[in-house]
Amino acid sequence: MKDSKIPPKNKKHFFGKREKVKHMRMSSVLLIGYRNIAINKTRSFLTIGGVSIGIGIITFLISIGFGVQAMVIREVTKNNPTEIIDVSNENLENFVVLNKETIDKIQKFPDVRSVEINSNIGGKFINGAAQTDAILYGVTPGYLKLSNISIENISFENFSTSDGIIVTPKLATLLGFEKAQDAVGKEVEYNAVVAKEILDTTIDNSEDGQAGKKFKILGIVNDQSKSDAVYAYTMFETLKNNYHINAGQRGKILIGNIEKIDFVRSQIEQLGFVTESVIDTVTDINSFFSIVRIVLIVFGTIIMSISAMGMMNTLSVSLLQRTKEVGILKALGAKRTDIFKMFIFEAILISFSGGAIGLLGGYGVAKGLNTLINFISKRYGIPAADFVMVPNVFIVAIVTFIVVLGISTGLFPARRASKIHALEALRYE
Amino acid sequence: MSEIQTETAIKVRGIKKSFVVGGREIPILHGIDFEIKKGEFVLLVGPSGCGKSTLLHIIYGLEAPTEGSVDIGGEDEWSHTKNWRANFRNDNIGFIPQQPFWIKSLTVIENIAIPAVIAGKTFHEGIGIAAKLIELVGMGEWSNHRPYDLSGGQQQRVALARSLLLDPKFVIADEPTGNLDQKAGEQLMELLQNISEQFQITILMVTHNTDQYKFGTRIIQMVDGKITSDIPNKHSLRALKEEISLVKKKSISKPIK
Repeated sequence: MKDSKIPPKNKKHFFGKREKVKHMRMSSVLLIGYRNIAINKTRSFLTIGGVSIGIGIITFLISIGFGVQAMVIREVTKNNPTEIIDVSNENLENFVVLNKETIDKIQKFPDVRSVEINSNIGGKFINGAAQTDAILYGVTPGYLKLSNISIENISFENFSTSDGIIVTPKLATLLGFEKAQDAVGKEVEYNAVVAKEILDTTIDNSEDGQAGKKFKILGIVNDQSKSDAVYAYTMFETLKNNYHINAGQRGKILIGNIEKIDFVRSQIEQLGFVTESVIDTVTDINSFFSIVRIVLIVFGTIIMSISAMGMMNTLSVSLLQRTKEVGILKALGAKRTDIFKMFIFEAILISFSGGAIGLLGGYGVAKGLNTLINFISKRYGIPAADFVMVPNVFIVAIVTFIVVLGISTGLFPARRASKIHALEALRYE
Repeated sequence: MSEIQTETAIKVRGIKKSFVVGGREIPILHGIDFEIKKGEFVLLVGPSGCGKSTLLHIIYGLEAPTEGSVDIGGEDEWSHTKNWRANFRNDNIGFIPQQPFWIKSLTVIENIAIPAVIAGKTFHEGIGIAAKLIELVGMGEWSNHRPYDLSGGQQQRVALARSLLLDPKFVIADEPTGNLDQKAGEQLMELLQNISEQFQITILMVTHNTDQYKFGTRIIQMVDGKITSDIPNKHSLRALKEEISLVKKKSISKPIK
């Protein structure tokens, strides 16, 4: 049945002034929503369960995804801080070295804190009958520090002021020492071949040539990336004094502001050097993980669509069952907005509780898995690692998503509910 | 009583209502006029389909009349907006439907408090008022039960309490005893009558049950969308009580010699 006419007059009260419309309090709306969820235990459990499983799986996958990414980056940058630019002269078209002139130029670039150099020469170490080819690196103390090199038997400070060398364990054994430690304190001879580009041309080098020099082994250097590396370190000053070298082929540049790194790199590259930064690796890692994340987002979207459909179904059924409730509320004076709020907040309550349980549950399971794996790996002597992380931005995103989910799934039933006419409850069947 | 009856509670003027069904206009009400004075207990009677419930819904502000006006306490109800009418109903009119619908998830006392909650009060405030009314209708011990756990008669008592919550100007009841057995119906009617007398509440009630005519002070008979008779009920219990008290007064003032 339909009314044959619209109500005769539908004017605003008090000559067009906005009439004061009484509305239900938010606390009452929320209480009714909560009670309705509480009374339909099985249905609410299944709906909230669906949402929490969806959010839980996403949280679990994302927290592990972000965690593993952070762990990898942490490992990569552990010995290579991001504020360091590695400089080398491997550019074949343009042979340049880090001499006084280029170092001065680099130091004038914005935010450059220090320029540390590494000069290497090839040659032969001789210890009595034993001899082996090895590179001797001459480094500035700052270079050694920035490289995070671990030295045994001598302190970093003492080595920095010494004129001796530190050798890798493998080199020590090649030089006839049974144990690497046995080499400490011994003197060895080094016959070097020096590239003329790094020689100080202001000095007459004719006498030096290939003549052997004696160096005292002061300590052992442990190469973290290669256990059988064969080389030795000495101070740049020592190399300079012995071989008249005044330039380095490699360098490490510490910068003060990480945001300037790209600019400084391009400036250095314009001088003809090749630059490297751990940021390159980090970028590669990040781009790999962003692909992983896209896959996770696709999975998450599928899972959440199923949860959302379940939720919408619940709310629609709930609405059908409550037509008479809505009718009597309207008959007793409830407004459309009150009814709308009742349904939308019920949807938000469902998605919020599901979201909160899912977020905590997913994170909890991931953390539990992390603890379990660490527990097992410790027994096998593998150091523990933290590979679970929930970034703040993800929490913000998930909370936003929960609210959006609640509103979007609740919107349609809430609009329908708010349009129910009071007479639908009062007309007898 | 006569002094109170001079104040008009409801004025219904020229109410016509027709519905459009399948493109045809079907008239239901053909011009209804009456006034109800404050404190009256009016019974609206008539056969099924004569338009009683439609008239009640028009007075309650839910169904718009095709023509005519409903004046309650000086306000022409149908000249205002829907929200205004909703507020007005909430403030001034108590309502007892044939089937007392409840908010399933709320307790009996919370359901009674619903009109206050709709008016913007907290549940706590509403329950404070509801606590007195639940005692008045004798349902105090059922406060924390679910309404659908109660019998039909008990539910209607609770519905009566709910209708009285915000101290309404009058109460509209649409066959409140329609689904009750004889005894429960009688008990509810007695309760309704007592409350009407005690608090001077105007009641407009639709009924089919001729046994209940004794409770009304006035009976309006409707047939086919028209009022066929509108007479004070000389045989009502209230009239009877008044007559008895009058006789008593006379017998006291004029002792038999």
